[in-house]
Amino acid sequence: MGSARAGDIPAVAPWAATAGRLLLGGVLVVAGAIKIPDPAAAVRAVRAYQLLPEPIVGPVAFGLPVVEIAVGLALLAGLFVRAAAMASAALLIVFMVGVASAWARGLQIDCGCFGGGGQVAAADTAYGTELLRDLGLLVVAVLLARWPTSRLALGSASRPSTFPDGDPPPASLALEKTHAR
Amino acid sequence: MPVDQQTRQPVRPGRRPTARQRAEAGRAAEAAARARAAQRRRTVTGATVAATLLAVAVLVVVVVQSQRVSSSPDAAVPAHTTADGAVVEVGSADASATLDVYEDFGCPACGAFEARHAGTLAELAADGDVLLRYHPISILDRAFTDDYPTRAMNAAGVVVDAAGPEAYVRFTQELFARQPAEGGPGLTDDELVGLAREAGAAGPAVERGIRELVFEDWTRELTDRASREGVAGTPTVLLDGEPLDWATLDPAALADAVRAV
Repeated sequence: MGSARAGDIPAVAPWAATAGRLLLGGVLVVAGAIKIPDPAAAVRAVRAYQLLPEPIVGPVAFGLPVVEIAVGLALLAGLFVRAAAMASAALLIVFMVGVASAWARGLQIDCGCFGGGGQVAAADTAYGTELLRDLGLLVVAVLLARWPTSRLALGSASRPSTFPDGDPPPASLALEKTHAR
Repeated sequence: MPVDQQTRQPVRPGRRPTARQRAEAGRAAEAAARARAAQRRRTVTGATVAATLLAVAVLVVVVVQSQRVSSSPDAAVPAHTTADGAVVEVGSADASATLDVYEDFGCPACGAFEARHAGTLAELAADGDVLLRYHPISILDRAFTDDYPTRAMNAAGVVVDAAGPEAYVRFTQELFARQPAEGGPGLTDDELVGLAREAGAAGPAVERGIRELVFEDWTRELTDRASREGVAGTPTVLLDGEPLDWATLDPAALADAVRAV
């Protein structure tokens, strides 16, 4: 398949989306899984932000890793990619607001993004780095939400095209669909 | 009007499509619409199932993790601590100043604090100038391969239980003096038992308490309580409730600050 007319550079777009899915999904699964074994530490990390009332600190600390893992698995598998990408973007925005707010209030905490968390020495805070990393991931998430079609996706809606007869579409059609609108 | 009966004839530009061609196009459009509707139904069903599964998973994990972090209400508490079991007090209760110290035995900064100020604090307490309130916590288990902070804190609880606050201070000073580096194992149970004996807590009950983590729930409870009190890092040093910037004070300045209270 693949017509030369389509050109080589646009043909990598679905593969770039796949790379974005694997990156974002991998980071989310790891970040979620690493928080499961030590729930007490997760509670302390959430509490250290001093943003949430005590009764919901626990549910957030315990539930957030599950959501991270679920969204990450959806991205890795290529299921509900647009919804998962939008959920990732929402999560990342929440994380960035939390980190920026801790920074602005002069708290000396580790973000707890990959487990751990809590208070650290002033010299050990890394708010700028944490925000930049989240911003980079946010860009990936937004691009994926805009162009969710990618290769190696389980979900039919997330693959380059869906023809009733199941035949793979010509590359040019897939590209038109990828870049539609 | 010549109705075109030749259905195979392709539509030429400028000619209207025949009735049959229009019907075929209509059927194709209907089929495509049905396929899209079926696809949409599948997507909606899948999304509903996925959202339900996620909600159930979140609920189950929240319940399970809540039970994992809840310590039993009748958890053993070491003797010779304050009524709530949270604090080891050293010095006179009549002293004008109180100094609260939250420490993790695996925390290097706590080791630095003790190396710098422990001698001064002991003198101040002996002179009746300050009531020292030690709040051990264990937040750095992840930094060691063998949960050293929890094991060390449990051992400190066993020591204060068996031999009182002065033995606790002797024991914990030795722990800080021999503090293992983060990233590896901590002191072994044998070493903890040996240091406890040197600090004045010996016997089979002490050894069993150290090896079997009899005060493990107490370590969890105190760590969580400190977190609820707003202490998320170590060392946290409070002079009459106000954070003390111990790192910028030399021992003489710290003594002046305490006596000025």
